[in-house]
Amino acid sequence: MKIQISVDFLQKLVIVGVLVLIVIVLSLLTDTFLTVTNLTNVSRQVSFVVITGSAVTLLMISGNFDLSVGSTLGLTGMLSAYFVTLGVPLWLSIILSTLIGTCIGLLNGVLVVRLKIPSIIATLGTMYIARGVALVITKGHSIHLGLGPNFTFLGRGYLGPVPITLLIIIFILGLFYFIETKTILGKYAFAIGGNKRTTLLSGVNVDAIIILLYILVGTLTGFSGTLLASRLGVGQPMVGQGFEFDVIVAVILGGTSLKGGEGSIFGMLIGAFIVGLIANGLNLLGIHSFYQSILKGVILAGAVLLDIMLKKRITV
Amino acid sequence: MKVNILKVRNLCKNYPGVAALKNVNLNIQRNSVHCIVGENGAGKSTLIKILTCVEKPTRGEIFFNGQTYQARTIRNAINMGISTLFQELNVVDQLTVEENLTLGREKTKYGIIKKADNSEKVYTVLKDFAPDISLRRKVSSLSFVEKQIVEVVKALGVDANLIIMDEPTAALSDEESKRLFTVIKNLKNQNVTVIYISHILNDIFSIGDYVTVLRDGNVIGTEKVSDITTEELIKMMVGKTIIGNYASRNIDYTRKVLYVRNLCTEKLHDINFDLYKNEIIGFYGLRGAGKSEIAQALFGLDTIKKGEVTVNGKMRNFRIPKDAMRNGIIMVPEERLTEGLIMKLPIRSNISITNLKKISKLFVINSKKERVIAKEYIKKMNIKARSIEQKAKTLSGGNQQKVVISKCLNADSVIFLMDEPTRGIDVGAKEEIHKIIRDLATEGASIIIFSSEYSEIVNLCDKIFLLWEGEILQVLDNKDVHAEEVMNVITQGKKRAKNEDSN
Repeated sequence: MKIQISVDFLQKLVIVGVLVLIVIVLSLLTDTFLTVTNLTNVSRQVSFVVITGSAVTLLMISGNFDLSVGSTLGLTGMLSAYFVTLGVPLWLSIILSTLIGTCIGLLNGVLVVRLKIPSIIATLGTMYIARGVALVITKGHSIHLGLGPNFTFLGRGYLGPVPITLLIIIFILGLFYFIETKTILGKYAFAIGGNKRTTLLSGVNVDAIIILLYILVGTLTGFSGTLLASRLGVGQPMVGQGFEFDVIVAVILGGTSLKGGEGSIFGMLIGAFIVGLIANGLNLLGIHSFYQSILKGVILAGAVLLDIMLKKRITV
Repeated sequence: MKVNILKVRNLCKNYPGVAALKNVNLNIQRNSVHCIVGENGAGKSTLIKILTCVEKPTRGEIFFNGQTYQARTIRNAINMGISTLFQELNVVDQLTVEENLTLGREKTKYGIIKKADNSEKVYTVLKDFAPDISLRRKVSSLSFVEKQIVEVVKALGVDANLIIMDEPTAALSDEESKRLFTVIKNLKNQNVTVIYISHILNDIFSIGDYVTVLRDGNVIGTEKVSDITTEELIKMMVGKTIIGNYASRNIDYTRKVLYVRNLCTEKLHDINFDLYKNEIIGFYGLRGAGKSEIAQALFGLDTIKKGEVTVNGKMRNFRIPKDAMRNGIIMVPEERLTEGLIMKLPIRSNISITNLKKISKLFVINSKKERVIAKEYIKKMNIKARSIEQKAKTLSGGNQQKVVISKCLNADSVIFLMDEPTRGIDVGAKEEIHKIIRDLATEGASIIIFSSEYSEIVNLCDKIFLLWEGEILQVLDNKDVHAEEVMNVITQGKKRAKNEDSN
């Protein structure tokens, strides 16, 4: 009986264990892994996944899905550079691009909730649309001229010894952890994912909550996009391909069920680092990136399998 | 050949907290139509589930054709000669009649489907039963009864000896029912036995040879249909009702909380009633009579086509349940597993969800208050749980229902729509919930009970509305209620009402 209470805890323990194992193995195998430079590098690489993933975790807990985040990331990153070249001040350009992300989120929400298009199909649609718009505006080219010296401040800058990106991640993680565990929105996300009908009958405006979750995903993705462009120092319309899957892999590794009703931001963070560290480790070990893809697939299937076995074992 | 095709000996089925079947004994005579009747919760559906291998019995034995019946899957059962006509039909709408009849048994040559030859048994049987149904027709274009016939024919095609029919006329018009009865009579000539499960008494007298009455998981008796009257049958179904439990309250007739006039929806026609402070009224009828539909229309779950709903003096038309709850209306839904609870979440969250505003400030939840409220309800409702963190799915049926009632109480409403508030839970929990409902009314709430259980309606309600096919046929005060009359009305509906008019 005691075991049952700790199912969630045990799950978290397992993924943290896997993360620790990876760190130990990589620091034994290479000299370069356990250095400040390398770890900062990894953190920066996963930062975009973590920021978008914070909102996507809540969305997936509610039983919904968003495939459009990769394209949104590309579009808003490109736009943040494009607006600057049009003479828009940098701060306003960042806000505008983020708001474009918000609008895409709203569009996704309306398509799924009001027009009742299954979320995978609806967001697959916006995925193509956003990518197409980015390519049309730039005619397929990258924007790197006339961006000014401050453009890379958010992505590459430091506040004292601390990278600004890191501060942003910590803030957003904290905020979403708070939303997940302490607020009405978090509670409703779990309830909707657990049983939509019951939640509706309990007096919750389910439709509005789901739209709000899509809006949060869009907004954070929009912001991630500007951050990524700032880090790259370029507005690139094709950036972020496959990003949606990196996010989903991190969220699922973190123990969020595809059916909804369970999951956590904390798990997503660990999941993102597992993926990031493995990619980083393989690079350091000089293994070709083709193999990384294979490994990512194996890890994803393995993690879900482990989760299923764990639950069976404990509930029996 | 044995006289009895099916024998059931001391069959018991226990669910957590409830005994659904208690030492059931049955003899089904070969080539007869054997009806099984009983109210909701009497154990009919559990019996079907065991016969069709959906559930395993806790104890007891079943003999089919003189041998121990040990089918493990429904396919297994079909191969042994037992087919079932479920309420949810098992035909594929997108395929033709022919494809449906041969589905899973297609003749192939090199993996390619061969054109079936017309001498196959299913074709001759179809011709016998329904010459007007063409093999080429898409099943989606058939009426419900025609689909049923296709299923019966399919069962005969695999040499079924016994066909179980679960409330087959529930969705049929009178004409269609007659057509199905002809088919059933025909089945006897084909040496097929039929177990006919229903609570529509007319059906039993039209086609039954024998009838067995179930009540609270017990077999009350088996009789020859020709030897029994409707009144006797109803008495067996309802049992001795202890109406002593009903206690009248002081109803505040100056405070009309709900006023409904000419309410029409897709399924409802001209529903009229008033509800006062401290009052409990009840809607009683068979499954499909429109009980849930009334609750759903009042709770913002169905579109109101016509009519007026006035809550505390103001006209309302709710778009979603949230709107209804803002106006003090709450619903205890019919299905506690899929509508009442979130199984993955703990008791604590299940109770608090209806009123998070009460325990939060600026959208931030005060979890201490949440725990206090959950603990209060566990104590008040006598919920048997290890702690407030126990997940809803691990509770027994009665305790789950108490959690559902708790969450509804937590919404601080004044009007309660209770759809089958004690279905499928044991007698003890039922009594407890009934007491809570009475106390609520005494304390000032107004309650509408929607139930297909006679004793529940009679024990709780001041006023009783009898429903049939979406219409109110009769309104009775508690003191004027007679079991036989009421059952007559709700099982025979308009036919009966019309006869009375003409008399």
